[in-house]
Amino acid sequence: MSVELIDELEAGELSVEFEGEEPEAVVAWALERFSPRIAISTAFQLDGVAILDMAYRIDPEIRVFSVDTGRLPQETFDLVELLRERYPGLNLELLAPDPVHLQRLVARKGPNLFYASVEDRMLCCNVRKVRPLTRHLAGLDAWITGLRRDQWATRTNIRKIEIDHDHGAIVKLNPLAEWTEEEVWDYVRANDVPTHPLYERGYTSIGCAPCTRAIGPGEEARGGRWWWESNAPKECGIHCAIETGGFEHELHAIVGDGHE
Amino acid sequence: MTTDVGATRTPGGDVGWELVLKRNPVERLKREKAPLGIRDELPALIAAGYEAVPEEDMVRLQWWGLYHDKPKIGTFMLRIKLPSGHLTSAKLRAIGEVSNAHGRGSGELATRQNIQLHYLHLSALPEVFAHLDAAGLSTVGGCGDTVRNITGCPVQGLARDELFDATPVVEAAAGFFYGNPDFCDLPRKHKYTIAACADRCNAPEINCIALVGVLHAGREGFAVLVGGGLSSVPRLARDLGVFVPKEEAVEVLAAITGAWSADLRYRVSRVKARLKFMIDDIGPEGMRALVEERLGRRLEDYRLAPVKATPSNHVGVHEQRQAGLVYIGFPVHLGLVSGDQMVALANLAEELGAGIRITRQQNFVLANVPEDEAGAALERVAEIGFPLDANEVRANGIACTGEPHCNFSVTETKSRLGRLLEGLEDRFGEAIGGLRLQLDGCPHACAQHWIADLGFQGTTARTDDGRRRQAYDIFLRGGLGPDAGIARPLFRRVPSEELDVPVAALIQGWLDGRREGESFTAFSRRLSDEELGALAGLEPARRRERDEEAA
Repeated sequence: MSVELIDELEAGELSVEFEGEEPEAVVAWALERFSPRIAISTAFQLDGVAILDMAYRIDPEIRVFSVDTGRLPQETFDLVELLRERYPGLNLELLAPDPVHLQRLVARKGPNLFYASVEDRMLCCNVRKVRPLTRHLAGLDAWITGLRRDQWATRTNIRKIEIDHDHGAIVKLNPLAEWTEEEVWDYVRANDVPTHPLYERGYTSIGCAPCTRAIGPGEEARGGRWWWESNAPKECGIHCAIETGGFEHELHAIVGDGHE
Repeated sequence: MTTDVGATRTPGGDVGWELVLKRNPVERLKREKAPLGIRDELPALIAAGYEAVPEEDMVRLQWWGLYHDKPKIGTFMLRIKLPSGHLTSAKLRAIGEVSNAHGRGSGELATRQNIQLHYLHLSALPEVFAHLDAAGLSTVGGCGDTVRNITGCPVQGLARDELFDATPVVEAAAGFFYGNPDFCDLPRKHKYTIAACADRCNAPEINCIALVGVLHAGREGFAVLVGGGLSSVPRLARDLGVFVPKEEAVEVLAAITGAWSADLRYRVSRVKARLKFMIDDIGPEGMRALVEERLGRRLEDYRLAPVKATPSNHVGVHEQRQAGLVYIGFPVHLGLVSGDQMVALANLAEELGAGIRITRQQNFVLANVPEDEAGAALERVAEIGFPLDANEVRANGIACTGEPHCNFSVTETKSRLGRLLEGLEDRFGEAIGGLRLQLDGCPHACAQHWIADLGFQGTTARTDDGRRRQAYDIFLRGGLGPDAGIARPLFRRVPSEELDVPVAALIQGWLDGRREGESFTAFSRRLSDEELGALAGLEPARRRERDEEAA
């Protein structure tokens, strides 16, 4: 690994300079600085497709990855096809869970373990989603997420560039940090970006099929994810706690180290 | 595109509330409901249950010193504010009792001279607050966008060499700012330090505003430093260039803070909200002009002379300015003090008629101990678990809360520093007593690793299959006082299991190669990156020059 990576001092100064910058400028800077060892992480939710569109316009060869957990809804794959059509030559990698880990987990706990307990649900997230993601990040110098400050009240301090100390101290870029959800919707509409079909059916959050659902009018957004749980960590389940590193902290605290 | 991101992007003077509220969710939640009022809503929150409490209200609870513990399944950390770290025996006993009754006996002394407890359930909070209130303790503004605990010299009013006793000024400032609604909606957290310590033990360089005691033309007062702070974007505070008589100190603090708080440019983004960024933009001269405009008068010119002494930790037995009394500073390994230990110390202090002071280095001082009882006090405190004859490196070492409590930390902190120090003590003994090793679990730098002799920040190294390994960046060349400077992360991602060897090798290199009286920091500044790398057996991280990037 390069020893010339951005350090804490440089990342801190850049994070201050990037305030007020448009997301595209941050993406362009990042691609110039880190290509080809940079990739976009997307779960095909609203923010993820907006970032994908921005980056593809700058560099159609930008690497994009997502985790195919094995339990995603059919509509997510329909969207993947729409995106492949909309962005010719899209360099999209769908990462798969480690088959040995997965087989062992299912043999031990059954395929629907997530209903059994918070711990088991977190183990499932870990094997199906987090481990493939972290394995992929180990081969990168930088990654780009769709995290925004207005997604969760204790997520308001995120920087547009930071050293990702949860993931091997590579650089993490959050170009949409300043935007509101409304601005992201405006962007995808103005640029004709395909969005997930389940939004139209009342979903506020789209993850694995068994763990997400539509919510009714007036219902809390958190009701759309793991609605059967009690005593789950109070973390934003709607917009990827995995990308913030929060998931792994909770996993470590609740399940401990013996979960490999 | 590449070059123009280097420009300063503080929005112009036309920033209005509309932009602030659109861009900054915390400004929205403060305006929707003032956070200070959340304490009155505790019964309703408790009735609804932890899981039903909106995250916005969790943020508002910060204004009463509360943060989520980790994991976020129902308990809180509570930060109790102690101006200059001052405590009476009754107050310390109350904190110990709360810890034992509600906090599983947890307790830690923190670098802002606060005491922090953990494991407090939402439902216990009304009782916790009632107990603390009764003892005259406060947590208001312990966290949140407030004036945080005002730090100072722990032995003010006692030390023989202090310039004057700054206690009344600290008390007046705490009385005015703590819980004052006009200063509880600041753009971000805000840190004051006030002291007249002869060797500036209170780290004025790293506070938003520091009042540094001076004697000027026969008057007691302060020079003023502004815009310091660490976290991810470290800055050393700069001299405002004025003398402030001590009677005017609170007024001047309010004017500086007010000038920053009123400027909406620093409310658009929390990344740029701290006072240091305003000082970056307008300089100390610009701030002085704003302050004088607010005060309606000119301030007297004054330049603060550099300090000669290195910042003291006030450990050991020292004669006080009051005849027949001594103060005794005790090292607290890793800043950990249990509820039982607090109660025992409180009982001892009461017997002796002594006071207790918490220090920036996470230690405590027994104040006003009768000279002829000092020996007995040493024995009693050692029995409680704080022997004075411990290696002084323990008194200087600082580690943040970190694991298992803090949601930000990516590595163990106190426990790791403990193992590191124990190994170094065995090998080097008292030769390393003066070294300052400071270890943080995240970039927020609560343990101030940026100004340590040897600073450590937690990170992770990944194995090829994505497995997580705890690791540390090693920071060198930082310092305070005469050595003031921000460290650099010179060795990066050193796996935790491989940390002790290079640290010991660097220290050995210093012991063998230092010049007469040369501090570790001075030594590390004299050597090149490559020379330090050769000592440590690690490859130093190279920095890309910013010009190169712009070109």
